[in-house]
Amino acid sequence: MSDKNSGLIASLAHQGISRRTFMKYCATLASMMALPPSAGRAMAEAMAAARRPSVIWLPFQECTGCTESITRSHSPSLEGLIFDAISLDYQETLMAAAGHQAEEALEKAIEENKGKFVLIIDGSVATGLDGAYSCIAGRTNLELLKRVAPHAGAIVAMGSCAAFGGIPKANPNPTAAVAVTDIIKDKPVVNIPGCPPIPVVMTGVLAHYLTFGSLPELDKLGRPKAFYGETIHDRCYRRPFYDQGKFAKTFDDEGARKGWCLFELGCKGPVTYNACATVKWNGGTSWPVESGHGCLGCSEPDFWDGGGFYRALSMPADPLKMAATAAVVGTAAGVAATFANRAKKGAAKSAHETVTLADLEK
Amino acid sequence: MGIEQIPIHVDNGSDGLSGNASAILREVADMLDRLARTGETGAIDLAALPLTPADKAWLSERLGKGEVEISMELNGASRIHETAYPGIWWITHLNPMGAEIGEFIEVTPIPDMVPSQSDDIVRGSESLNFLINDLC
Ligand code: SF4
Ligand code: SF4
Repeated sequence: MSDKNSGLIASLAHQGISRRTFMKYCATLASMMALPPSAGRAMAEAMAAARRPSVIWLPFQECTGCTESITRSHSPSLEGLIFDAISLDYQETLMAAAGHQAEEALEKAIEENKGKFVLIIDGSVATGLDGAYSCIAGRTNLELLKRVAPHAGAIVAMGSCAAFGGIPKANPNPTAAVAVTDIIKDKPVVNIPGCPPIPVVMTGVLAHYLTFGSLPELDKLGRPKAFYGETIHDRCYRRPFYDQGKFAKTFDDEGARKGWCLFELGCKGPVTYNACATVKWNGGTSWPVESGHGCLGCSEPDFWDGGGFYRALSMPADPLKMAATAAVVGTAAGVAATFANRAKKGAAKSAHETVTLADLEK
Repeated sequence: MGIEQIPIHVDNGSDGLSGNASAILREVADMLDRLARTGETGAIDLAALPLTPADKAWLSERLGKGEVEISMELNGASRIHETAYPGIWWITHLNPMGAEIGEFIEVTPIPDMVPSQSDDIVRGSESLNFLINDLC
C-alpha cells in the first residue's frame, strides 16, 4: 500500500526481483495460459510499465483460505510478491487501517479509480434476512457488493464460495448464500474456483488484464479456459492406470502403494476442471492425487454436496451430475488422450463440455 | 514415493516418436532461414506441443550443442545453450524446487533474457555507488 505511482516492476525490484526473473515468470505464465511466446514478452513489458493496479478485495462469507493460498503459497513465490506489488487499497484481513479509516480508504479507492480498479471477492453473499447474516461496518455484504461492483473495471470471484456459493451454500444453506454472479448480472465476472484456488490463476488473470486490457477467455461457468480447460483426469499422471483398469481399493493396499488410480476411492478428477495436475501446489511440490488422495472436485459447483468424497463417481451424486460419467474402464489411449487434450487446449476456442464416457474413451 | 518410482511404462509404438519432433525441426529451420534473411526472430514453446520424452530427446540430439552455455539463477535455475546451429537456442526454466516449468526454443542472435536489463543496470549502478560511499 505504498507509493501508487511507481510501476509494478519498481515495486518488485524493491523486493529483490530482477527484470530477468520477471521475464522468466511471464514466459512461463504465458506458456501455462497456452499463449504464444510473444505474449510472454508483451506481458513482461506491459506489466513492468503498468502503474500498480488498484485492487479492492472484499471478503464475504469465507474462511480466509483463499487469501492464505495467495499470500503464503510458498515463500517467496512470485505470485505472493506480485500480490504485494499491486496497490491493495482495501483488504480487511491484511490492511493496517481499521474502523472508520478502513471504510474511508474503501470510498477513496472507489472514487480515485472509478472504472479501473480490479474488484476481488472471496466468500459467498448471504441473502437470507436481507443479507444480515454477514455484515461489515454495519453494511451487509450484499449492500457492499452492490455499492462497489458498478464502478469496477474488472470483477474476480476468487474461490469456490464467491464463484459458486461454495461451502456456505452447502445443504441446507442456512444463510441463503449465493454466488457473486447471482447478484452481478450486468458485468462479466471471472470465476476462479477452487477451495482454495491455485495462486497462479489469479496472477494470470491480472497479467492478462494489464497486458491486453481485457479478461482472458472464459468457459461457460466463467472460468479462464487456460487453467480450467481440461479436467484433472485429462492430465493426471495416474491416468494410464485408469486406462488399464488398475485401481487402488483401499488407501493402504498393494494398488495404493503402487500409485494406481484412485477412482474407486472416490476421485472426482474425471468431472473436475482445474489445473492441479499440471501446475501442482506449493511451488510445484505435489498435488492431491500425487499425495495419494483423490480429487474432491473443489472447483466445481456444489462439490460439498456431491454425495461423499470417498464414493466412486459411478454412484449417483446428483448435484454434481457425476452419475453417468466414468464408471467404465477406458481403453489404453491415456497418454494419447492427454496429448490430444493439450492440443485442444492450444486451440482452446471451442466451449468445453462436461466429460462424457465417449470423451474418456477417445 | 516419487512419480519416477511408479513402475509404469507407456508404450507409444516402437521408438516413442510421435512425428511432431520432425515437424518442429522444420519449423525451426524456417525460422532460422527467416532470421538469416530478414533478422526476424522467432520462438517455440515446447510445452504447448504434444511431445513425448523420446520426441524431445530426438530433437535435442538433432540440434546438438554449440559454443555457448549459460546458467542463470532467476528464482530457480534457468539454463540456456546455443545449439550446434548458431541462432538457435534451447532454454529450460526450473522453479525454486527444481521442477521444470518451461522449455523454449528461441531463434535469435541472443535470447532476450541474456543481456543485462536496463532497469537492473540502473539499480546495479546505484547499489555500487552506495557501496563506494560506505567505503569512504
Ligand atoms: S480417476 Fe483420479 S486418480 Fe484416477 S486417473 Fe483420473 S484423476 Fe487420476
Ligand atoms: S485436486 Fe481436485 S479437490 Fe484437490 S485442489 Fe485440485 S481440484 Fe480441488
